[in-house]
Amino acid sequence: MSGTEKSGMEGEGKAVRQLPDSISVQGVSYTVRERVGPWWKFSLYCKKWTRQILKDVSFHIESGQIMGILGNSGSGKTTLLDAISGRLAHKGNFFGEVYVNGRQLKREQFRDCFSYVPQNDTLLSFLTIQESLTYTALLTLKKRSNNSIKKKVDAVMAELSLSHIADKIIGSRNVVGISGGERRRVSVAAQLLQDPKVMLLDEPTTGLDCLTANQLVLLLSKLAHRDRIVILTIHQPRSELFKLFDKIAIMSFGEMVFCGNPMEMITFFGDCGYSCPEQSNPFDFYVDLTSVDTRSKEHELKTYSRVQEFVSAYRNSEIFSKVLAAIEKTKRMKELPPIPLKNKDSPNGFYQMLILLRRATRNLSRDKIGIVMRLLQNLLFGLFIAFFLLRLSNDMTHGAVQDRVGLVYQCVSAPPYTGMLNAVALFPPLRAISDQENKDGLYKKWQMLVAYIVHFLPFSVISVGIFSAFIYWTTGLYPDASRFGVFFAVVLASHMIGELLTLVMLGMVQDPHIVQSAVVLLNSAGVIGGTGLVRTIEEMPTPFKLLSFLTFQKYSSEVLIVNEFYGLDFTCGGANSSTAGKPACIFTQGIQFIEENFPGALSRFTLDFLILYAFIPGLVIVAILSSILREIITDRR
Amino acid sequence: MVNFKNKREERDCTSEDNSLYFTYSGKSNVLEVKELNYQINTASQIPWYENLAQMRMPWTWKSDPHSHLSVIQNLNLKVRSGQMLAIIGSTAGGKTSLLDVITCRDHGGKIKSGQVMINNKPSTPQLVRKCIAHVRQDDRLLPHLTVRETLLFVAKLRLPKFFSDSQRKKRVEDVIAELRLRQCANTRVGNEYLRGVSGGERRRVSIGVQLLWNPGILILDEPTSGLDSFTAHNLVITLSRLARGNRLVLLSLHQPRSDIFQLFDLVLLMTSGLTVYCGTARDMVQYFTDLGYPCPKYSNPADFYVDLTSIDKQTAEKEMESRQRANALANLFVEKVKHFDDSLWKATEGDNAETTVIKNSEEVLNMPHHSSDQLPGALKQFTILLSRQVSNDFRDLSTLLIRGFEALLMSLLIGFLYYGHEKNGLSIRDTTALLYMIGALIPFTIILDVIAKCHSERAMLYHDLEGGMYSVSPYFFAKILGELPEHCIFVIIYGVPIYWLANLVPEPVHFLLNFLLLWLAVYSARAMALWVAALLPTLQLSAFLGNVLFTSFYLSGGFVISLNSLWTVPFWVSKISFLRWNFQGMMQVQFTDTTYEMTEGNFTFQIPGKLAMDLDSHPLYVTYIVLAAVIFSFLLLYYLSLRFIKQKSAQDW
Repeated sequence: MSGTEKSGMEGEGKAVRQLPDSISVQGVSYTVRERVGPWWKFSLYCKKWTRQILKDVSFHIESGQIMGILGNSGSGKTTLLDAISGRLAHKGNFFGEVYVNGRQLKREQFRDCFSYVPQNDTLLSFLTIQESLTYTALLTLKKRSNNSIKKKVDAVMAELSLSHIADKIIGSRNVVGISGGERRRVSVAAQLLQDPKVMLLDEPTTGLDCLTANQLVLLLSKLAHRDRIVILTIHQPRSELFKLFDKIAIMSFGEMVFCGNPMEMITFFGDCGYSCPEQSNPFDFYVDLTSVDTRSKEHELKTYSRVQEFVSAYRNSEIFSKVLAAIEKTKRMKELPPIPLKNKDSPNGFYQMLILLRRATRNLSRDKIGIVMRLLQNLLFGLFIAFFLLRLSNDMTHGAVQDRVGLVYQCVSAPPYTGMLNAVALFPPLRAISDQENKDGLYKKWQMLVAYIVHFLPFSVISVGIFSAFIYWTTGLYPDASRFGVFFAVVLASHMIGELLTLVMLGMVQDPHIVQSAVVLLNSAGVIGGTGLVRTIEEMPTPFKLLSFLTFQKYSSEVLIVNEFYGLDFTCGGANSSTAGKPACIFTQGIQFIEENFPGALSRFTLDFLILYAFIPGLVIVAILSSILREIITDRR
Repeated sequence: MVNFKNKREERDCTSEDNSLYFTYSGKSNVLEVKELNYQINTASQIPWYENLAQMRMPWTWKSDPHSHLSVIQNLNLKVRSGQMLAIIGSTAGGKTSLLDVITCRDHGGKIKSGQVMINNKPSTPQLVRKCIAHVRQDDRLLPHLTVRETLLFVAKLRLPKFFSDSQRKKRVEDVIAELRLRQCANTRVGNEYLRGVSGGERRRVSIGVQLLWNPGILILDEPTSGLDSFTAHNLVITLSRLARGNRLVLLSLHQPRSDIFQLFDLVLLMTSGLTVYCGTARDMVQYFTDLGYPCPKYSNPADFYVDLTSIDKQTAEKEMESRQRANALANLFVEKVKHFDDSLWKATEGDNAETTVIKNSEEVLNMPHHSSDQLPGALKQFTILLSRQVSNDFRDLSTLLIRGFEALLMSLLIGFLYYGHEKNGLSIRDTTALLYMIGALIPFTIILDVIAKCHSERAMLYHDLEGGMYSVSPYFFAKILGELPEHCIFVIIYGVPIYWLANLVPEPVHFLLNFLLLWLAVYSARAMALWVAALLPTLQLSAFLGNVLFTSFYLSGGFVISLNSLWTVPFWVSKISFLRWNFQGMMQVQFTDTTYEMTEGNFTFQIPGKLAMDLDSHPLYVTYIVLAAVIFSFLLLYYLSLRFIKQKSAQDW
């Protein structure tokens, strides 16, 4: 009891000097509608029931305090954090109010007021800690000079004791880097750059070993005591942390069973007749006491009624009435203090994209194996073809036409495939980061997309350049420099289209594996239906004929065929042998082959080429649109 | 005293749960570890493919002198049936290594001195297999079987021959009752993608799998990790009840919560290989208090002492300091227990009498322990494995539907592209391309699917084989036979619509010959995928090799590149390319009896298809023989890989 009074006194003392910032949550409830059964049990699937995730939750917290939300899985901890920070999925089922300094927030103010550190860290693995933080600072704080940004980053690193490892690479599962606790601290540091007054953390200690977890919570409590509000959910905290929290909330089945400071907690449960044994962790003890045991019906009823007892005891307690009074008091204040917003003067869109591009390039340039793979994978494929094909001949009996068609077929179908592999491997981590930073309001998702597209251009040019030079001259395609140029340009276009197509799909579908199979399927369908190499287009059913005009492979293959066959002369068997006896010798000139199989392709050469290149800006626009659409959809929810 | 009121209440309310359904009736066991020193070579633990990925050359792998690490130092330990020993300590304390040594599954480690004795015999893999059940940290179960089915299949495989079916069923029911799994006995097990029983229940099923054959010693590695506190508590209650049923239970825990700590009989506290405390759990606090480290009020003794002894690597000074403290404590402990014969610390002598053995009158299976515990024969194992595989695969409706849909989609796509019911059918060029596409499109997806599936089952296979549940041959035959029905259905879904839509030669004989070719070719792809999956340790490597092989066969298949212009190596590759033989066979089937009209200038003359395609090289039956031979050799390679390559999964490292 004395503890409460003391802290109350302190609060008032502070209020005289400077009004503390506060968050008040009043009567928050949240429900979702769920289907009763899985889809194959149709009658149950049609029914829906309403699940109450939060039930009439109220609390009040002021700056300088750290609050821990405890509870078993499924008790609504994370939902409560989401509710405070305005990130809930379906707003329609949300009741109750969240006040910051006695004011209700507008929709767009939420992300400018709260810093949210999610459960998993999304960091680029090849940047050092300092670089990572500097880029984030550049994205958020424009009007500062480079010097002041450096100072800011240094200060934040010092605050989170990261200075001694500032130049270490962050690393990932496959790359050795900093430890899990350090990664978590970097995530917190990235948020601190904007000087938030309110920080929310979802399960910051999960996955850390206990020493590290303790150090992290200690650090957070220090942060809080420097005039910030820190709220975190926590799973199985250790007993040493008990004293660190200014407020502890226990959630069970969506209800707040208790919220108060540690000493109040011990007395409260003691008064209810359950005092914590001396040699046990009070967190564990109270969480167990308030959890519902669903192993059997009787247990469930029994434990549930016990929880209800606690809830009603808490609602009738002095602690709770003080909370309500505090909420009323902040709301009634004559002069409401302004909402504490984060520092935000982000630079313009173009500058942001430049920073994103620099960041992505810096990150990928450290990945040695990745770069080598990217540059050589097309060549690898070329080696494979060259190994089997060795050198094209002009002799019809030795497959002059068949081998050339086969080679063109491979050059049309393989580059999009390698482009897809690149995008599937490299873009998802960047996408995760852009999702995260977009939620923080740093920039738009499509800016990251454009930065990625710009960054892969040089890689594609070099990689395709190596491939084309190798395959063109070893297999002996039409020996002419300008034809080589056309060949290179077509392969480059198909490679980039494959990568862009994958980016479009990644904008719409989350799972990269599905994207991969979808792109492979689209590619093979395009090759079979569009190229005319394996199916004469004139003889296809009409709908397929029309569809084939939409495939980029149609254009790339026509250009390549004309490029190779125009002006080529074939021989047949030995010199001077008659063409009659050999059914294979139906052509003596390449132009005959073109006229036979691709009538009119010669006159369409330039047009085909232009249409092929028109696919690139087209797909870029579609990719940007799809990422904008995704942003709108995720915002709605 | 008031503090314990509710504890007692809790005990009371669960008392009806406390009955023992299933006790161990063999003779009691003693596990003893004497003066054990154990070293591991960290360099040899990195698998070869990761070394290659880091671009390190093979000759540099083992030469790093710092890689030898002593993980257990001078450990003494003696546990009897009826006791539960918990090994606690922070990460890298040597807990998992100790369990590995005891179960003879060393991963590149070496016992420097000392030994592990089971019932006064040095432990060997055979002995371990006979009397120790090892529950691993992660659950290895087939996701689509229910809890009862899972246990029943294991009962059929793992229990000796003389058990009748009803006895086996009863044993399963006993285990289900013992582990309190009745509510979910008919629920699917599930995995991370498929919703099934809860995490704690799945962990209990894993324990049940080991408990079924009624081992005297039960070893569990981190059984509570990933469970929420409540479930973890219940699990440890179950374990302590099992210990009271005259079993020896050994478990390692990261940091037990206070309520769990109270359930232990014996505790071994380790830090970086040193023993800091080993003795009864309830005397631990007193022991450390006597040494001058009292446990503070309202804190968990396990947490407190684990932290006290763990090595803090934040800064060099802290590390030195904590290392010195740990060493000092370890030395003190050695001093203290010098005069106890079993090197366990106890406050008072003669405690052993307390761990009484509960005999359950219900237990009628008085099985003779080491004598005639012959497992079922190979044929029996084969039938059980076959039915297990079939029932697991056919429950997975969504995957089957997706695969079927995929096959149908491809079939319809190609079929309509080459729609052949118009005017005068397909031209020679298009027919050739179609025949090649039929054979070459579907195998690629099948190869990737099969490889992924094999790798998901690989970990379970490894543990079953290591644990001696069945041998390789029955598994091999069950696997290839179990794949057949699925295979047939997909080939039908894929092959029939194409044939009809493209209007290929409509006689039934031609259709059947064509279909058989397709069946064989796709099955070769499947056999190849099985082999590749068993050969290489990670999914990525297997998928890569599968891709390389497939592309080689694809390029040398006779369509993309003319067979006449191939040089020596690809020529030989094309000899074993199932795509080539399939292509050639299909061409022969289609073109032998048809004639085509050729127009040259004003002439129209008819030539037999055979002549047009230059197909006289081999008689048709040779194609079938070669394809069968290709399948046979891939299956043989698969068998050899299963037999001689450890099916260790990449997740295990």
